[in-house]
Amino acid sequence: MLAIFKRELRSCFHGMIGAVLTAFMLAATAIYFVALNLGYGLPDFGYYTLYRTIFVLLLYIPVLTMRSFAEERHSRTDQLLLTSPVSVGGIVLGKYFALCVIFALPCLMDAGMILVLKALGATGTSTLANFSALLCYYLMGCAAIAIGVFLSSLTENQIIAAVSGVAALLLAYMMPSLRTMFTTGSAVALALFTAIAAVLSVVAGLRSKSFTLGCLSFAGCCVALTALFLLKSSWLTEAFSAVLSALCLFTPFEEFVNSSFSIPTLVYYLTVAAVFLFFTAQGLEKRRWN
Amino acid sequence: MIEVSHLSKSYGSRPAVQDLSFTVPDGQIYGLLGPNGAGKSTIMNILTGYLAPTEGEVKVAGFRLPEQAQQAKACVGYLPEQPPLYPEMTVQEYLDFVAELKGVKRAQRKQQVLAAAHRTGLEEVLPRVIRSLSKGYRQRVGIAQALLGSPQLIILDEPTVGLDPAQVIEIRNLIRELGKAHTVILSSHILSEVQAVCQQVLILSKGRLVAVGSPEELGETLNPGSRLRATAQGEPDTVLAAVRSVPGICKVELESAADGQVTFTAESEDAADRRAAVSRALTEAGCTVLALAAENRSLEEVFLALTEKTPEQNTPAEGEEN
Repeated sequence: MLAIFKRELRSCFHGMIGAVLTAFMLAATAIYFVALNLGYGLPDFGYYTLYRTIFVLLLYIPVLTMRSFAEERHSRTDQLLLTSPVSVGGIVLGKYFALCVIFALPCLMDAGMILVLKALGATGTSTLANFSALLCYYLMGCAAIAIGVFLSSLTENQIIAAVSGVAALLLAYMMPSLRTMFTTGSAVALALFTAIAAVLSVVAGLRSKSFTLGCLSFAGCCVALTALFLLKSSWLTEAFSAVLSALCLFTPFEEFVNSSFSIPTLVYYLTVAAVFLFFTAQGLEKRRWN
Repeated sequence: MIEVSHLSKSYGSRPAVQDLSFTVPDGQIYGLLGPNGAGKSTIMNILTGYLAPTEGEVKVAGFRLPEQAQQAKACVGYLPEQPPLYPEMTVQEYLDFVAELKGVKRAQRKQQVLAAAHRTGLEEVLPRVIRSLSKGYRQRVGIAQALLGSPQLIILDEPTVGLDPAQVIEIRNLIRELGKAHTVILSSHILSEVQAVCQQVLILSKGRLVAVGSPEELGETLNPGSRLRATAQGEPDTVLAAVRSVPGICKVELESAADGQVTFTAESEDAADRRAAVSRALTEAGCTVLALAAENRSLEEVFLALTEKTPEQNTPAEGEEN
């Protein structure tokens, strides 16, 4: 795992991509920092710089992660990794931690900016709030990296990995606005859950190569959903909005921007990262059975 | 070293390997021989734990795959069809990386990398970037990589593809040398290579095992009738009549007749050696024997006979599956 970690880190700076990405991130945050924090003398780094540069992550993360597994598969070097005595989990984690370290570089420079603000007279509390916002920002980025790594493991084309990464993060970015379109009633929720049940049943049927199993699971889901709809329709709408809010990857960060420290937010980001890394490992494992 | 029983592997609904069983004892060089698409690479990918079998049991160095994959993988060095190289690294960096990946202890790493580079003749190119290497050198880096971690089993998928003739001989010598201390499995569709290097040959066709044995055995056992080729002085008719009169000779073919010299091949019904009888018959007929030699069927003929025969055998089976 350590070998993979080191190689990944080195290859990022061999091909310039690490340096270019770091410079790009630094330039984006520095513009906001200079214009707002320094220009207007505002000590709140979390809101004026980090929160307003989230959109940069939508580009930075997919470009950072697109190579991770897609390139290995394209150049067949995955055969070396997967036939070495390193577990699939070790391979995924080695790559993931290397990418997290690369993302830590611009974050360290952000920390430098916070120290500049402190030197210019920001209070201890606002510095602390700035640092905790930076911590959350970093974990948010790491969660997004896990999503990008997962998407990269699905394809052997880096462009497809990058585009699907941008699309996924953009969807998560716009989810708060999209969500308002779906709050109309439980009928929409029922339709959506039925669609999800149908997709899952088709997948289950194809996986197990059993038509009856697919039909049975879909019928079971439909019965359960209808019962819920008739008896406790509010549960459906609540579950629906809970699902949608879990998809808003960038919203929980607002807690930190409002200068409050929120453990659930940190747990949320760590969970997202763990879930997608698990999916990545499962996907790699699964591919050898096909 | 390797035990494979009733191994099958399908990609989707397309069977790549069907009901394959074989064992490979320690310390031998085994050759997997077969035309393109016979399933050689699939078998190697399964033995190295890259792919999981659809059905059947595979044991490598006593470890079951895929359950004990980690232990099994530690015993195997693998050169895939396309050497798994990172073009942006130098040869030295790459070999160091693979040594670390395979869990070679830090103290031994440098020495092992140097030893592998020495065996494959890579010392001069160690500081060069892999991207700038020729195909032959890349192949050698791939082989060097497989040697790291001193695995008990070395699996090479078409190791001499893309090398020039001098390098091919070098690599064959290297493989022979590796066979002294390791078990080696190599795949090839080049018959002469397998004949030159391997002690045992597995011939595959359309995902099935069609023959196992040493190259000589395969030549003999699959050739029920022996054949001889001779040149004698005399009239063609007299010579051929004399040979036909030998009991047990079933087919005589004239190859050439010029300047009073007749060259022919004769096939006998069974494997018995009829050189003496043929020579005697010719002398009695007043023809001087100039040359007389038994001809073994070459592995090439065996290979063609086996791989051409199998599609017909397979057709009903495949029909059932579809």
